[in-house]
Amino acid sequence: MKNPGKLSVLAALATAALTLSACGGSADADSNSGGTTEGTNSSATVTVEHAQGSTEVPANPENVYTFDLGALDTLDSLGVDVTGVPEAAFPESLAAYASDEYTKIGSMKEPDFEAIAAGAPDLIIISGRTADSYDKLSEIAPTIDLSVDQAAPIESFKEISTTLGEIFGQEDAVADRLAEIDSTIGEANENAKNAGTGLVILTNAGEITAYGAGSRFGLIHDVLGVQTAADVKAEGSHGESVSFEFIAEANPDHLFVIDRDAALGESGEAAAAVLDNELVNGTTAAQNDQIVYLDAASWYLVGYGLGNVEAMVSSVNDALAG
Amino acid sequence: MITELSPTDTQPTTPRRRVLLLPALAVLAVVVLSITSLFIGVSDVSISTLLSDSSDGTAGRILLISRIPRTLAILLTGIALGVAGLLMQLMARNKFVEPSTVGTVESAMLGILVVTILVPAAPLLAKMGVAAVFGVAGTALFLLILQRVPLRNTLVVPLVGIMLGGIVGAVTTFFAYRFDLLQSLNSWMVGDFSGVLAGRYEFLWLVGALAVVGYIAADRFTVAGMGKDFTTNLGLNYRGVMALGLVLVSLISAVVVVTVGAVPFLGLVVPNLVSMLIGDNVRRSVPWVALLGAGLVLVCDILGRLIRYPYEIPVGTVLSVVGAATFLYLLLRSRRNVA
Amino acid sequence: MSPDTLPAAVRARRRTPLKTLGPGTWILILSVAVAALVVTFMTIDLKGNLGYVLPLRANKVAAMLLVAYAVGISTVLFQTVTGNRILTPSIMGFDALYILLQTFLAFTIGTQALMTMGAGTRFILEVVLMVGFSWLLYRWLFVGGGKSLHLVLLVGIVFGTLFRGISSLLQRLIDPSEFVVLQDLFFASFNNVDSSLLGVSALTILAASIAGWRIRNRFDVLALGRETAVNLGVNHRTTVTQVLVICSVLVAVSTALVGPITFFGLLVASVAYQLCSVFRHRYVLPIAVLLGAIALLGGQLTLERIFGFDTALSIVIEFIGGIVFIALLLKGSVK
Repeated sequence: MKNPGKLSVLAALATAALTLSACGGSADADSNSGGTTEGTNSSATVTVEHAQGSTEVPANPENVYTFDLGALDTLDSLGVDVTGVPEAAFPESLAAYASDEYTKIGSMKEPDFEAIAAGAPDLIIISGRTADSYDKLSEIAPTIDLSVDQAAPIESFKEISTTLGEIFGQEDAVADRLAEIDSTIGEANENAKNAGTGLVILTNAGEITAYGAGSRFGLIHDVLGVQTAADVKAEGSHGESVSFEFIAEANPDHLFVIDRDAALGESGEAAAAVLDNELVNGTTAAQNDQIVYLDAASWYLVGYGLGNVEAMVSSVNDALAG
Repeated sequence: MITELSPTDTQPTTPRRRVLLLPALAVLAVVVLSITSLFIGVSDVSISTLLSDSSDGTAGRILLISRIPRTLAILLTGIALGVAGLLMQLMARNKFVEPSTVGTVESAMLGILVVTILVPAAPLLAKMGVAAVFGVAGTALFLLILQRVPLRNTLVVPLVGIMLGGIVGAVTTFFAYRFDLLQSLNSWMVGDFSGVLAGRYEFLWLVGALAVVGYIAADRFTVAGMGKDFTTNLGLNYRGVMALGLVLVSLISAVVVVTVGAVPFLGLVVPNLVSMLIGDNVRRSVPWVALLGAGLVLVCDILGRLIRYPYEIPVGTVLSVVGAATFLYLLLRSRRNVA
Repeated sequence: MSPDTLPAAVRARRRTPLKTLGPGTWILILSVAVAALVVTFMTIDLKGNLGYVLPLRANKVAAMLLVAYAVGISTVLFQTVTGNRILTPSIMGFDALYILLQTFLAFTIGTQALMTMGAGTRFILEVVLMVGFSWLLYRWLFVGGGKSLHLVLLVGIVFGTLFRGISSLLQRLIDPSEFVVLQDLFFASFNNVDSSLLGVSALTILAASIAGWRIRNRFDVLALGRETAVNLGVNHRTTVTQVLVICSVLVAVSTALVGPITFFGLLVASVAYQLCSVFRHRYVLPIAVLLGAIALLGGQLTLERIFGFDTALSIVIEFIGGIVFIALLLKGSVK
């Protein structure tokens, strides 16, 4: 069990512990953006605090394997080369990683321990689906669990991005990107003030689940400041089964839709068909053409990566700005 | 060993007045429940809002678009599933089977999945057609296996059906997992009326019509259940009757699964309750099965709408709890009878 | 039900081609096959650090052999006491209970907490819950003179439907990204078994085996059906209860170790009966276990070397197991 208070302590620890302990104590192994620590066998290490403890990670590791698509997205947008990725149905933004030039290190869930051991990586990044392989992978190489804390996803995402920046000597680049995201969030909050209410729903085989604060989709309310149209008190990572009457009654100004059936066919197509009915069409959102179809891949496949969060936040902000 | 679930065969000779009173009461109960169902939901629909003009006819619109369709869908589903369960039980000559325990529902679900994967944009009608074809195949396979199982003990029959359903389910899971459709599959697995609106349930009228056909042909199924020779001696076409039954049951299951999702236990519990109440005269029991089925689904759906208002609990989940309790009661009661 | 009560001489005359080899011969052949598979599994494509790879593979092999043993023994014994060859212990609602438990935990504490909860805690919780559930089921149904095993089964099945109904609802509401993590738990996996749990599982299975060994002589009598067994002086009810408890421990341990495998037991038991010319537990049990080991080792090899971990092994086994079973049913060779 995780207690909520633990996170802030961890955060403080992480920043305190992120010291570069160079051999001989010389502090000149400075690794600012593009800081060049010569060769792979550089003795500089970074201590990383993560979801399952703390790990000594070599600074600027060259041979990086990641199971976490969010981290992959972050590294991809920082221009860091990743060498090993799982066999996965990569979303469009990461489609390049499906090619054979990357070592295949198992499936999204099952690490191929032998292939990983043979590849001798300098760093392995895991998260949610592979979290329980932490012990086994740690035997091979320094492993960090970059699962995002669902209780405070954005803070957690910022920490993780900063951590990755530290490891790869890209602190400045990460800081810039985070500042950009923050400004978009600020903008979204401004826009949200005059944008009225919003409701987040997910369509699944013709049925509707509404999400409130606290879920992955809840950040629309929590972080971007969109007022809740209906008092959906979803705690944690699940929604509530609702009827179309519920949507009509909530009468949101913006309806944010995630299409669960988008695995097949065009994203949003199936959802649009489900929502095209008299009750939904009577809402302000439909009248003003403010039904926003969120990209399924970026909202629940990729997760919290630098490029992806930017895309998520911008898509909502654009919708709010009208 | 359990032999029969039916009550003792000594039917009390009912006085004429009771014969009329009971059906009247049952019909009344269903009517009252239906009216209740019309006035339960998230939007404010009540006698006063319907009559007052202040709500510019919103209440009336909600009634027409959402409440009446939903109530009709519930009634049709309840009636049809009860009858389908009864027919299945007559054909297999076993009190413990219903479409969801002989692989019909699982097969229909596999059908939906296949269409969804191959032609994602297929219209609802195509999905239903394919689901029905798969349902027929699955049910036919069950009856085929049944003929090969030497000892048709009361409890072996449903076991074969459940295993078959499990196997078809495993195949479905396999493909759903590959295409990341497991969560969508869950929506079909749990019957739910929350998505019912005018224009989204009309296929259920077909199901109602099929139930009527089942009623008209009910006696033939009783005969067919007695076996091939017996049926042929009475001058009936055995294969024809069985084929008709297969198509009826599978079509009902497929249409219900596609429009609202799987509704467990109903076809099992309702006919058994009716047989306990009025005995095993098929002709007489079909209307009762229809009434009781409709009533039970109504009660469960109203409960599902109220327990966590304004959110819903799918009728499938409520029914699986109510159905499990009832079924266990029936089982244990029959055990006491045997003891 | 219909145990094969024909005298052995009559049965021997009805041999199918498969049965022309004696059961002893089959055990020998299968043992060699298992040994060959184990060797292949341990040595194929060896690369990298042997000190790391070999223990890793040994771990997987041990997990598979344990599961094959638990599933094979429990299925055959279960079918013996129920006098029915269509049943498996998992149909009693075990799998559904396991899935409900995982879903419920994911729903309440989130998958992240669930995944990092510590394998030991989860394992103990699952085993205790599953054994407790089956024990309650037998207790409740055997009290009050209802001797019907079938009733126990049907009740188990009903509970299964109930558990599934609740799980489906929770799964539908769960956040899609969480659901992805959760769904991994529904499929058995041998790739990542916690080595500390292997020891505990092995000990538990050993304890259940010793309990079974002590009543081994009654198995063949039980297979003759209740009436005959009672006439032959076996305390039927006690023995059946003992066997059922042993079965539930075996199934619970195997499910908690790798995840649910529904038709796997059915597959190995059915094929074992096909191979055995004489229905004696001393032959059927080892053959079932060996077949299970072959299926798992072979399956995992194929999966790793050909599909590159693309599909969970259990789904493939379910798929094949189901198809083989239906074929056997249609042939009328499963009674």
